[in-house]
Amino acid sequence: MLTRLPRFVAVLAALLLSPACRQPKSAVETAGTTASPKVATASAPATAGGNQKKILNYGNGAEPADLDFQIVTGTPEHRLALTFFEGLINEDPQLKIIPGVAEKWEISPDGLVYTFRLRADARWSNGDPVTADDFVQSYRRMIGPTLGAEYSYMLWHVVGAEDFNKGKLSDFNQTGFKAPDARTLVLTLRQPTPFLLHAMNHYAWFPLHIPTLKKFGAMDRKSTPWSRPESFVGNGPYALKEWRANQKIIAVRSPTYWDHAAVKIDEIHFFPIELADTEERMFRTGQLHITNEVPLSKIPVYQRDQPGNIRIDPYNGIYFYRFNAKRKPFDDVRVRRALALSIDRETLVKKVTLAGEIPAYDFTPPDLVGFVSRHAFKADLTEAKRLLAEAGFPGGKGFPKVELLYNTLEKHRTIAEALQQMWRKNLGIDITLYNQEWKVYLDSQHSKNYQFERAGWIADYVDPHVFFDIWETDGGNNDTNWGNRDYDRLLRSALDAKSTADRYEIYQQLEKILVDEMPIMPIYFYMRARLVSPKVKGYFTTPLDNFPWKYADMEN
Amino acid sequence: MLPAAAEKIEQGNSLWLDAWLRLRKNHLAVFGLGALIAIGLACLVGPWLSTHGYEEQNLELGAAGPSRAHWLGTDTLGRDLLVRLLTGGRVSLGVGLAATFVALTIGVVFGAVAGFFGGKLDIIMMRTVDIMYSLPFMVFVILLMVFFGRNIILLFVAIGAVEWLTMARIVRSQVMATKRMEFIEAARSLGFGRRRIIFRHILPNILGPIIVYTTLTIPGVMLLEAFLSFLGLGVQPPMSSWGVLIKDGAEKMEEYSWLLIFPGAMFSLTLFSLNFLGDGLRDALDVRSSKD
Repeated sequence: MLTRLPRFVAVLAALLLSPACRQPKSAVETAGTTASPKVATASAPATAGGNQKKILNYGNGAEPADLDFQIVTGTPEHRLALTFFEGLINEDPQLKIIPGVAEKWEISPDGLVYTFRLRADARWSNGDPVTADDFVQSYRRMIGPTLGAEYSYMLWHVVGAEDFNKGKLSDFNQTGFKAPDARTLVLTLRQPTPFLLHAMNHYAWFPLHIPTLKKFGAMDRKSTPWSRPESFVGNGPYALKEWRANQKIIAVRSPTYWDHAAVKIDEIHFFPIELADTEERMFRTGQLHITNEVPLSKIPVYQRDQPGNIRIDPYNGIYFYRFNAKRKPFDDVRVRRALALSIDRETLVKKVTLAGEIPAYDFTPPDLVGFVSRHAFKADLTEAKRLLAEAGFPGGKGFPKVELLYNTLEKHRTIAEALQQMWRKNLGIDITLYNQEWKVYLDSQHSKNYQFERAGWIADYVDPHVFFDIWETDGGNNDTNWGNRDYDRLLRSALDAKSTADRYEIYQQLEKILVDEMPIMPIYFYMRARLVSPKVKGYFTTPLDNFPWKYADMEN
Repeated sequence: MLPAAAEKIEQGNSLWLDAWLRLRKNHLAVFGLGALIAIGLACLVGPWLSTHGYEEQNLELGAAGPSRAHWLGTDTLGRDLLVRLLTGGRVSLGVGLAATFVALTIGVVFGAVAGFFGGKLDIIMMRTVDIMYSLPFMVFVILLMVFFGRNIILLFVAIGAVEWLTMARIVRSQVMATKRMEFIEAARSLGFGRRRIIFRHILPNILGPIIVYTTLTIPGVMLLEAFLSFLGLGVQPPMSSWGVLIKDGAEKMEEYSWLLIFPGAMFSLTLFSLNFLGDGLRDALDVRSSKD
């Protein structure tokens, strides 16, 4: 697929705390740091007025970079976008497609033309109707070459969008975004894209209230005051009431949302807390109902003492070590394979990471919408030793000095220490560890100034494609210096496949290439642990970690 | 005075013997000295005697409390805490002593020279100190790392090179006060050289503040080492140091209290001992205190 722009997505870094860092895009994890908790006086929960309001206090991980969702990239922002906006379609808690602003849609038999019919009662929070032209104008802004939205590649499936985005096409009317009337939106794609509807539940595809934007300055300007609470206009289940920087964001039920009767919680307060320990403390004292993380060492304690308060769910991402294929000794595929085959992932997840992560022997999370890799490798110490000897380092003799980079976070260090020891014991090679703060680490990664490093990748939408297109040669998030022409060719052909079965067949071949060449070393597939108060009903973590709010409820 | 000394009264005691005799009477100081020697020896020899290695993991065991096999328990990766504590002690004590020695040497000489000569030389030297004070420490360390790569030796140098500034100021002010006293006048009139006056007559008189400040510097440096290690500029895993162990232990203290208690106790004991010893030494070395 398309992307080679820097999408920052997923890299994830760290899990626990996140420094100033926003997690990059879909990336989900945040990086941790020593940043002090900015908790600020947590307001006393609840009960205002006579008829008790239902207020949910939610740990959102970090302060959003902005509420102009076309120019942000992190997961805290993603959750807020789903609170204040709704796209053409929506997803239920099982991630099944359900109608959003569009009440119905048709897909042409060749899969290239999508016609959406917008519902008549879709309203902005200021009362204006949501029109097809709002969508077209929003998309025009999103892919405008001057806005520089990192996620613009999400829209490149549409005819002409990539060229317009790169400035090769200046006439927006030649792109595939069309609004024949106020309630009809037509998208013409350049290739059939079977997962398009799923990808559309991402804020890159959400509409903006164009008149409000225009009131506060040119459309292609970032950070104009339109996204401040006084002027903010959205179309989602909640409206923005207050944004106290570094303290909290208050969302109130929006009376203009078309499905407002289904929304049960009156207010959601988002707390930007970066330290898992702080969150845990606030949870214990009842100041938070849902946390963003759970401190590693507290997971077993909660599982033992209060199993009703902790939820651990699959999370659509992979934790891996990335090799720099241009640096010795990792330019040799035998060395990469030897390292990947010689660690004990079962013990690692059982004894170190503790949240029931799934050991990774391939490159896509297990049973991802029906895709199961046939080419998983196995841990095989004999083979690993043979490969290492073949590469010229029998028993680890003569193995060059190798440094593993990780971003500063307790969990990553612990994992790295465990693996370091496994390699020393199993292969006789010595690895030095060093860490960098989140932003420095990202910089080293993007400039490929490392030998090998820890990394993570979280899906933007549920489809195996998202785990294959990052390894395209020179892709914006590839960062390995690894590339394979056959791989690129197959990857592009995947979207033209006639059926899902055919497409998955192509992914199997991609898996085979990855297993043979091992540009990265899979370690485990994520699980997401959260503390959730029993007062919250119907909330759980979806594999994308973006739960639709209208299904959640609270008990008084 | 002790009877033995009294018998050969005409011989007189050296400054150092006097000090030692006085120090011996200070029980806390003797305790501190003993504890420091014991800790130092344990750190030096202990890791060789143990059957466990400081980096040897037992993931199956994980974090376990004290037992016969692991006297102080194990950390979350199943590593023996006692060995890690002793190995970490080598790093922490090493950094603490080495950096303090560097700071002491540079600081005392620099401060004494500036204070003794005064005038333009003093102004130039002390403004240099002011300028170095204003360099952000982290930037300085990161610069060193960029030029020379990550290296524990550099850590000593970096810390020592910064810590001497305060020492220089303290010494300078003491020297300026002392150099006007009559016995210095006497020394001058006897024709002693400047070097002899500074090192034989002035410095022994200002040992008190120097020693007190030194005993404060050592723990400060040990903490700094932990901080740098956390940022990735100091010791790197799996090597341990007390700062690293305490930081880890603090994060896990609710579940695995021994991970904090033992390193914390060891660190505190060392700091107490240093303070007691410093206190005792100051009293013992104070030539102005009456010889009873």
